[in-house]
Amino acid sequence: MDMPTNTAMATYSEQRRHELRKTRMVMIDGQLAVNTRSSEGGNSARVYDGGYWGFASSPDAKPAELEERALRNARTMGRFGTRSALALPGGSYRGEHVFKGKPALTPQDCADRLAALHAYCRRQYPQLKSTRFMLQEEQHSKWLATSVGGESLASIQRGVASITFIAEDAQGAPVELSEMLSCKGSLADLDLSVETLGPVLEQLHTHLQAKRQAVAASGGLHKVVISPALAGILAHEAMGHPCEADIVLGGAVTGDLLGQRVASELVTMVDFAHSFNGQETIIPVYVDDEGTPGRDAVLIDKGVLTNFMHSRETAARMGLQATGSARAYAPGDEPLVRMRNTAILPGRDKLQQMIEGVDKGYLLMKTGNGQADSTTEFMFAISLGYEIRDGKLGRAIRDTTVSGSAIKVLQSVDAVSDDMVWSGSGYCGKKQPMVVSMGGPALRAMAQLGGE
Amino acid sequence: MQQQQHPEQALRNIAELALALMRAQGFDAARADASRSLSTELNLAHNEPSLLRSTQSHKLVLTGIVDARLASTELSDLSDGSLREAVAALHANAIAAPQDEANAITAGQRARIDQGPAEADEALLADKVAELLDFRARESPLMMLEEGYASHTEVQLQTLSSGDSDLACRIGWYGLSTFGTAREGKRTSSFNHAEGNAHDLRSQPAQTFFGIDRLLRETPRQIDAAPIGAKFVGDVVLAPNAVASLLGWLHGQIGDLQLIAGTSLYQGKVGEKIASPLLNLRSRFDAPGVAALSADGFATPPVELLREGRLMCLTPSLFASRKTALPHVPVAGSGWELAAGVTPLDELLAGVKQGALVGRLSMGHPATNGDFSGVIKNSFRIEGGEVGGALREVMISGNVAQMLREVVAVSRERIDTGGTCLPWLRVRGLHFS
Repeated sequence: MDMPTNTAMATYSEQRRHELRKTRMVMIDGQLAVNTRSSEGGNSARVYDGGYWGFASSPDAKPAELEERALRNARTMGRFGTRSALALPGGSYRGEHVFKGKPALTPQDCADRLAALHAYCRRQYPQLKSTRFMLQEEQHSKWLATSVGGESLASIQRGVASITFIAEDAQGAPVELSEMLSCKGSLADLDLSVETLGPVLEQLHTHLQAKRQAVAASGGLHKVVISPALAGILAHEAMGHPCEADIVLGGAVTGDLLGQRVASELVTMVDFAHSFNGQETIIPVYVDDEGTPGRDAVLIDKGVLTNFMHSRETAARMGLQATGSARAYAPGDEPLVRMRNTAILPGRDKLQQMIEGVDKGYLLMKTGNGQADSTTEFMFAISLGYEIRDGKLGRAIRDTTVSGSAIKVLQSVDAVSDDMVWSGSGYCGKKQPMVVSMGGPALRAMAQLGGE
Repeated sequence: MQQQQHPEQALRNIAELALALMRAQGFDAARADASRSLSTELNLAHNEPSLLRSTQSHKLVLTGIVDARLASTELSDLSDGSLREAVAALHANAIAAPQDEANAITAGQRARIDQGPAEADEALLADKVAELLDFRARESPLMMLEEGYASHTEVQLQTLSSGDSDLACRIGWYGLSTFGTAREGKRTSSFNHAEGNAHDLRSQPAQTFFGIDRLLRETPRQIDAAPIGAKFVGDVVLAPNAVASLLGWLHGQIGDLQLIAGTSLYQGKVGEKIASPLLNLRSRFDAPGVAALSADGFATPPVELLREGRLMCLTPSLFASRKTALPHVPVAGSGWELAAGVTPLDELLAGVKQGALVGRLSMGHPATNGDFSGVIKNSFRIEGGEVGGALREVMISGNVAQMLREVVAVSRERIDTGGTCLPWLRVRGLHFS
């Protein structure tokens, strides 16, 4: 294998060797519908020359050849006119970070765990119409060399399991509910035994039974308690994306709000590079794919917008410090500004008391996908929620959507719980997919719910 | 001097070698897909040309069955040692899988596909990016194109199976993409996007493809947006981008996951009216960027899904077909067109008493029963048939299956993005809040 080496033909250049391994297994009603493994490796080079970027990648071309091609590409861009090159900040990083988890599961181990889960659920919950289990693991290893002296090996590895139960409502229409579990490392680092998962499955089944009798949420503005499992996606979608500096440069409203109050003073939000409270995060980025050391980006400090996430180029354009947020998903991808481990920090309230403080509203517990906007108007799907009436939980609600202007919603936060939930199961989509993690406590706020 | 092997022959050789190794390893049935992709992409960022990228990739996907147990693997290292290692690991993986008599591998398929431009014309890509940027500066100066590109991609694929399938494919296409927001002072619109694939970009200016000019003209009108201010039941006119969300749900309902689980609303509904009689949905598997081949290794003849609202078929893969006893209907990864209607778009809009013109639906995956709610984006108020101001923070809710039945008009105009060709639809009975 030809490893990246440090050369300096242009203003700035980087070479990357990227290996990406994935496993994906899906069992539907005891039958293995997907059973696949993949291994993708490749070299890439990116060059900044004359104010333009050039990029080239290939599974087997030598790094030096790719750098030459990337330089040629950057110079080809000169047809659009001469430009002065930006002085790219960011510094350099030298080091190796590889997670040492448990030895990986064999295919037989994975198949056995899926079969055991299926058998358990069939025995415990014979009325279910269908069950679906998914196992997925993904490992990225990136060797990087930059023209400013960076040399690093960074590895990100995560395991994900999802469990979906499907039942029927009184009219015979399907009703489904899923639980996602994730960890740093491989599937071996996720305890998939029925002994450990039994209570999780029981809880999922109990909620599904409630959802079979669910009522439509009342559309409009409501007081909602957003459970810890959802606060992370609120952080990611609502304010995370509008704080990515390339989106700020693209015209997001956040560009004019630095130093201004955008949330209740109870809200502090950080995109952590690699550690939180002394523990390594699920997606640790010690060095990004431009060779910049990873730094935490405090996006909102006690309600005030304080910073954005930056690549070398966006930092240069805005005259700010690069945060090590430039990440590439696949061997053939160039780095883009991406989130890493985005979280709202815990407060001092208790979830139960937060619910008791709502006369009429909703508890939102599980989510599916979400979407952001340059206006900070966000949405994310709600797959499990309950009415709150006079401080007590009522009927389950049907699938709905929560939305609003993130700034209005975060400014309305009047309670933040003292606990915290992290999840690393999702993909973020922005030209390329990306593995990210997100976390948060429970929040009480005003938000729009979709419904009749 | 060593002679360079033709790419098509090289792929065939790799697939043949892989198949031979799999046979020797003891697989009962085997399939090898060798592919190669070359892409040239000229990017713009923040209204300026920014990056030229050249990417090359190749991969081999192997699928094997032993004793009715199936596994697959994908690798990019095609060296002899890597290939032998992958075949041995695949065998171990398959042996570990549960037995399932529904597992099967493509057999008896023959196809030769050769379509679209083979070579990237870098000068053409640069010209198209320049045209986009010039048009933006001239006609839509408030628009900030955050990102976009002009690209050329060529993919070659060779599939061989132990059941004597032999599928060879080479497709090339150009792509254009724009994504951005409009901004005036401190006020900004929602983001908006338009993109698509074509065999030729020379024939017309870049902005006339895929609705890009409409995007660039309409988005600045969305800077000043207001809430709808009332809860009511009204009509929507869905633009093609939003229509695609409806069709995505329908494809999911008639595909493997829901059919195998027995949770599709349309299981047992073939031949029945499931949608408005105005809807006619058929394949266009020869569209730019589309190969008329299914993921399970079958050639895909044209398919009609909806004829005057009647469901003509479900689309289970070979595996799902054997699982459910439904007829196997192979379909390509994309390539669908909804037939144009007879109503001019202006008339379609004029028929709405109270509602919205919806550019994009931002929503979660609709529930299995079709229930959904979502935020309408890039949208405008309609009252008394007049398109008014832009909307923000407006949600609609309803049921997708019901929406398909409640289509009351289909536009004469369509937007052709290659992978889809879709009209505007007027749908009644959505809850606004």
